[in-house]
Amino acid sequence: MKLTKLAMAGVLAAFVGAVPAKADLVFPSLSYRTGPYAANGIPFADGYADYLTLINERDGGIGGVKIANPECETGYNTEKGVECYESTKGQGALLYQPLSTGITYQLIPKATADGIPVHSMGYGRTSAANGKVFEWIFNYPANYWDGASVIINDILKNNNGDIKGKKIALVYHNSAYGKEPIRTLEELAKKHGYEFTAIPVDHPGQEQKSQWLQILPRPSGLRPDVGLGRDECRCHPGSGEHPLSNGSFLRHLVVRF
Amino acid sequence: MLYREAGDFKTTYSTDQQTFPIKSERWLFWAFIAFAFLVVPFLINDYWNKAVLVPLLVWSMAALGLNILVGYCGQVSLGTGGFMAVGAFASYKFMTAFPGLDMFSVVILSGLVTAGVGILFGLPSLRIKGFYLAVATLAAQFFLVWMFNKFSWFYNYSASGQITAPERTLFGIAVTGPSSLPWATYLFCLTMVFVFAWIARNLTRGRIGRSWMAIRDMDIAAEIIGVSPLKAKLTAFAVSSFYIGMAGAMFFANYLGAAEVTEAFGIDKSFLALFMVIIGGLGSILGSFLGAGFLVLLPVLLKNVMVGYLGWPTDLAAHIQIMLIGGLIVFFLIVEPHGLAQLWRLTKEKLRLWPFPY
Repeated sequence: MKLTKLAMAGVLAAFVGAVPAKADLVFPSLSYRTGPYAANGIPFADGYADYLTLINERDGGIGGVKIANPECETGYNTEKGVECYESTKGQGALLYQPLSTGITYQLIPKATADGIPVHSMGYGRTSAANGKVFEWIFNYPANYWDGASVIINDILKNNNGDIKGKKIALVYHNSAYGKEPIRTLEELAKKHGYEFTAIPVDHPGQEQKSQWLQILPRPSGLRPDVGLGRDECRCHPGSGEHPLSNGSFLRHLVVRF
Repeated sequence: MLYREAGDFKTTYSTDQQTFPIKSERWLFWAFIAFAFLVVPFLINDYWNKAVLVPLLVWSMAALGLNILVGYCGQVSLGTGGFMAVGAFASYKFMTAFPGLDMFSVVILSGLVTAGVGILFGLPSLRIKGFYLAVATLAAQFFLVWMFNKFSWFYNYSASGQITAPERTLFGIAVTGPSSLPWATYLFCLTMVFVFAWIARNLTRGRIGRSWMAIRDMDIAAEIIGVSPLKAKLTAFAVSSFYIGMAGAMFFANYLGAAEVTEAFGIDKSFLALFMVIIGGLGSILGSFLGAGFLVLLPVLLKNVMVGYLGWPTDLAAHIQIMLIGGLIVFFLIVEPHGLAQLWRLTKEKLRLWPFPY
């Protein structure tokens, strides 16, 4: 019993004492250096930390105030993302980079209620671009709809503005992240008259050969004129290989953030 | 010495058969409950609410549900994640279709929907057992997740497939949504778990629970003495899914606030719940709580110690945490295969005799 009590006291102390000292400008980094998408999470987290260190060392911070960059590991997992948000919020966080569309969706209502800006840089909820509704959410410089629209415009340009009857296939990550541009591509299909097919790749995406084989120019395949890949950005080493290894369809465009 | 039983006489059957027959333990239990209900709500903040206590309560509910099926009725299930998804999506549909509904009704209704789905997927259990049943429930896991991702009616045709919990109240106090106060969410979840743990405890002591255990211990013998396997197995699936559905609803509405089916209710959730039940103790209500506590609190604690105190890099801490928890699971299963509940039972036996063991 005594041991249990001691252990309990230890647990309590560890929970309570875990809040680090307050810094002046806090930019929490919700990084994902572990998990299936770590290959993309590590360079981003390092880059973010390096840039803030550069500003601290070269300019002495922002306006003379040093930046603190407490890091919290999410592993691209929403539950850990919630824990990270709540644990760093109390340190006076100025801005969140949730780095995951799932976590972004979760933080949008919370951060809005807490009055903390979220900068989902080119990812997250596309409709958050509407600042009248989402006052605290910023997704500049671009969003998923932009990506889809830019690609279609590029295809239009290369086909002299006429893609009627062409087949365009989208291989997408079967998640909020991957689904976002589908509506845009469907609407644009109505406008420009191309045939649109969406092919999902499920999390975590190690095995996506069958999806790519589906769009191979074979008698049995869909034989699209353009294949769009929106799965690689799930940062998976497995994804880029398949389109390259079969290397045979007309064009393959990739959106990468 | 801690348990002074001298003079604690049992003069009626009901006092002899109560859940906590030892007086001091009864006091300890009520003191703990009083602390949880009366003191914690005044101390709780956002972090404790969202990162520690609400996940603990939600997972306790899920472990309770799974324990009824696996621990009491002996039907192995790997469909917990899928059933939690049913609860979550049912609660989302109820919350959006009937905005006036209070949160209590939403959670109960979601539980009932899940119970129906659970009965459906429990039907194979009448023909197959053991590992084969585990595979059949695994099919439920994959099918349900696929279904909630495929058919956009379930997420109200949103472009991303994400569901977000709107603000819903109980007695006029917001318990879901971003502006709900920590104490309100916590008390809501605590009350649900307390009430339904109470019901589960008494269900498992009564006729239905005994029929489950008879099926678990030897189904042919149970059938010969007059236990209907159909009724026993399907009620176990129904009750278990009801609990897991409520857990799923609270997981989505009270805890996460937004969810995406593939990410939030994947196969890892099924395994997590099964680990909780096995580590906590199969066929034990307390074990469900201990198992949930072990697997929910320990990672948070380790993270806070390694990153917060020792200042280790976050990725190193995350990897070491996975290894440590894996090691601890193996350790506990070797020293006590019957789970943490059995450890507690043994400790109690020793304490009752302490300091004069014989």
